[in-house]
Amino acid sequence: MTQQEFLRELEEVLEADAESIKGDETLADLGSWDSLAVMSFIAMVDENYGVTLAASKLASAKNVEDLIALLGDKISNT
Amino acid sequence: MINPMELIDRTIMVTGASSGIGRETAILLSQLGARLILIGRNAEQLNKTLASLEGTAHHVYTFDLSNIDEIPRWMKEVTSASGPLHGLVHSAGLQFTRPLRIMSSENIEELMRVNVTAAIFLAKAFRQKGVSADSGSIVYLSSVMGLVGQSGQSAYSASKGALVTLTKSLALELSRENIRVNCVAPAMVTTEMSGKMLELLTPEQVLQIEAMHPLGLGRPRDVANAIAFLLADTGRWITGTTLVLDGGYTAH
Ligand SMILES: NC(=O)c1ccc[n+]([C@@H]2O[C@H](COP(=O)([O-])OP(=O)(O)OC[C@H]3O[C@@H](n4cnc5c(N)ncnc54)[C@H](OP(=O)(O)O)[C@@H]3O)[C@@H](O)[C@H]2O)c1
Repeated sequence: MTQQEFLRELEEVLEADAESIKGDETLADLGSWDSLAVMSFIAMVDENYGVTLAASKLASAKNVEDLIALLGDKISNT
Repeated sequence: MINPMELIDRTIMVTGASSGIGRETAILLSQLGARLILIGRNAEQLNKTLASLEGTAHHVYTFDLSNIDEIPRWMKEVTSASGPLHGLVHSAGLQFTRPLRIMSSENIEELMRVNVTAAIFLAKAFRQKGVSADSGSIVYLSSVMGLVGQSGQSAYSASKGALVTLTKSLALELSRENIRVNCVAPAMVTTEMSGKMLELLTPEQVLQIEAMHPLGLGRPRDVANAIAFLLADTGRWITGTTLVLDGGYTAH
């Protein structure tokens, strides 16, 4: 999946407006990064990327780039 | 000495026998004297269960329970080889955590198919002439999530709540056929299913869940014991009931 596709999925998880997330935000900036968003993110990543993310790993993520890094080479740079 | 839960000469089918609660239930039932028919999709894991059973004359069949319409004919075939069933335990089931924002209708349908629709069709199959013996007992696996809620669990808890009332209606419909229908509602039991769920949580969240179980998390044997109690003559006068096994989870 591309980074752009990932950002659109993240918008769905956060219930943010379409095309509103650019990729350089901190999670604190996004405001809606709460427990339901975390739960949704874990389920989305499991279904769309086949990656099982422990919540403890997610806890150390500070910004959108950290989320992308968690998925490693599952997300291409383009 | 007597054993009021003995199951000598009873034939019992267990779905989901390749893992967790279903596996442990099959092992206990064999130790109580029953002949088992083990059902699941994973042959290797089913054979692992088979190797842990006491006694012989057990059978293993791989079958995908999402093939709902095939269930009655399939069960007829199985029992023509094994002889009629005295009991059926439906421990096969799916679980996922999914808030509404990312819930799809496919997610829900897949879950309902195995957890609920298959449960109904297993009863439809069980009551066929020749498939069950002159008296029978069905046990479903509900959950405390079918009695109380938790966010992210809407589809799963809907499926498990459905089993509670399915049990009551079938108990009434099948009493004249000498078939008892009950279910058990466990809180968190350490199995592959709960392991997968806990894996996704932070250590603090895990502690929080543990704290909701005054007697700690359950073991598969805790659930197997209750299932055996409902299947054996100890359950003779019990039908339409949901037996809660939760270490105090719903006592709050
Ligand atoms: N563990 C808990 O904390 C807990 C608590 C309350 C209620 N329960 C309920 O107890 C039951 C057993 O749970 P568990 O923890 O033992 O789960 P598990 O370890 O995940 O085992 C689930 C079983 O279901 C079978 N299964 C799934 N889909 C199937 C299909 N389409 N066809 C045939 N078999 C299928 C699997 O077999 P194959 O992979 O071989 O197909 C496996 O044997 C479930 O209904 C669950 O909802 C569990």
